[in-house]
Amino acid sequence: MANLKSRFNLRDFGANLWEGWNRQTRVTFTLVLIGLVALLPFAASWGPTSFLNTPITSFENVLVYPVGMFVLMALGLNIVVGKSGLLDLGYVAFFAIGAYTQAIMSTTLGWNTWEVLPFGIAFAMVAGVMLGLPALRLRGDYLAIITLGFGEIIRIVALNLKITKGPDGIPGIPNPPAILGLDFSLENPSHYFWLVLGMILLVIWMIRRFTIRRPGRAWEAIRQDEDVASLMGVNTLIYKLWSFVIGGAVGGAAGVLYASKTMVISPDMFKFEVSILILGCVVFGGIGNIWGVVVGASILAYLPERIRFISDARQLVFGAVLILMMNLRPDGLLPRKKREKLTKRGSL
Amino acid sequence: MSEKVLELKQVTIKFGGVTALDSVDFHVNRGEICALIGPNGAGKTTVFNVITGVYPATSGEILFKEKSILGLKKHQVTKTGLARTFQNVRLFGEMTALDNVIVATDVHKRTGLVRALFGTPLNRREERSGSERAHELLKLVGIDHRSDQLAKNLPYGDQRRLEIARALGTEPEVLLLDEPAAGFNPAEKVELADLIKKIRDTGYTILLIEHDMSLIMGISDRVVVLDFGQKIADDLPTIVQNDPRVIEAYLGVPADAS
Repeated sequence: MANLKSRFNLRDFGANLWEGWNRQTRVTFTLVLIGLVALLPFAASWGPTSFLNTPITSFENVLVYPVGMFVLMALGLNIVVGKSGLLDLGYVAFFAIGAYTQAIMSTTLGWNTWEVLPFGIAFAMVAGVMLGLPALRLRGDYLAIITLGFGEIIRIVALNLKITKGPDGIPGIPNPPAILGLDFSLENPSHYFWLVLGMILLVIWMIRRFTIRRPGRAWEAIRQDEDVASLMGVNTLIYKLWSFVIGGAVGGAAGVLYASKTMVISPDMFKFEVSILILGCVVFGGIGNIWGVVVGASILAYLPERIRFISDARQLVFGAVLILMMNLRPDGLLPRKKREKLTKRGSL
Repeated sequence: MSEKVLELKQVTIKFGGVTALDSVDFHVNRGEICALIGPNGAGKTTVFNVITGVYPATSGEILFKEKSILGLKKHQVTKTGLARTFQNVRLFGEMTALDNVIVATDVHKRTGLVRALFGTPLNRREERSGSERAHELLKLVGIDHRSDQLAKNLPYGDQRRLEIARALGTEPEVLLLDEPAAGFNPAEKVELADLIKKIRDTGYTILLIEHDMSLIMGISDRVVVLDFGQKIADDLPTIVQNDPRVIEAYLGVPADAS
């Protein structure tokens, strides 16, 4: 089969540029980049970038959901699918657990988002262990099917329990109280965006830390050859479990935030399609590469909103973009590093 | 002098109706190079697999430093001090040579996820020592100049050497080498023999599967011969070489004898 991968590899180009810089340049670049992204909510009202504006939903809201949330979840799923190579088709379950934790605890106990957040994360992590312990003994397709089932179980449980109010869902979830000068009222969607951005940066920091140290090496070894990894002393079950748990924690955090932003949740928000779409973001951007996943999720979340003016043809265009993209760049927009570096080099 | 570091007692493995190993009994003394030979399908690699916990034994006992290691998980066996290479090279191809070895050195580290996340002093120390140790081992096998290359891009001979370095990364007491010279030309085989002797002299015990008789006769202290899952000889190389049963196993019975 013809390989249409271009000779110019943007990923390696970026990596080379980055490696050539000293610490000061790197810090400056990172801060400028974060600053520019933080200014995104104003892009729609500024002349030269006003073409970014989305027709139906306001641009600021689109930046929070779907864009910010998708990036967050795609990064979480990438730990599972990209880092340790476990195909998880039920990732939405963790999102749902986080969202329902927020919905139930805030409406019954009256706790605010910041108080619920640790619980949302913890419950998602526990769910990760409960799913992982039996499921991670299986591999490949079998694991994928179990995770798919898990995603459906959580949704169907939410559909049938009294405490989740079944198909009606839970209304009246309060917005998060103001924190650090950010005011989370519905008139201020950009403040939500900055919050999500902060969480995304935290997750990226975490993944980068893991990647260049022991856990990242263990995951990479498991992804490449699980049997050999265990023969070289990697406790494969524990590390696979950790990747599930950490991925789940990110999903749970995203869920808590999502519930307090939308204020109403119901089981049909947590369908199988969401898992697939997030997996699509990961694959589209480039499995295993943080920047690829961020770019991929941003595009896949933003595009349908941007072309909403063509109404019914929207999904058709979206699908065409996916097919075209996967033909031209089967490894994703920004593929995994060609020379994976799993240890810090040079001076520490 | 001859302390038994690894001992197989009456080990039997059956796959359905096939008996892959039939009451195999042998031991490896500390500090020696013990060769395990036999015709194709004799069960040599199966011996490695049962020692390292890939297959469970149907019956029998495996003692490592006088403790049973039967029933331990693969990574636990490795942690007790047994490491192996593979008949067909099985490196982590998408990792650099250095990282391949560092993965193995992680076995004895105490850094978990939380320590790694916050970069505690212990974690930094361990990361540094792992990297240093990996470089040492790459030097030992003679491929330190390739440390930053992806394992899959290394020449075949270097890949085989990297496998040995990776196994040594787990700091084993007994190193199990599964046909380390497969596919080598005579000159490379001589180099490899020197390397194996060097590794033994550094303080490791080696159990070696090999087909090349001149290599085995040159470096091994003792030879164990398997045929159809049974041990048929276990002695000094020169004696094994002239053992009629061994010759029969390899060459068949002379026509006039039957």
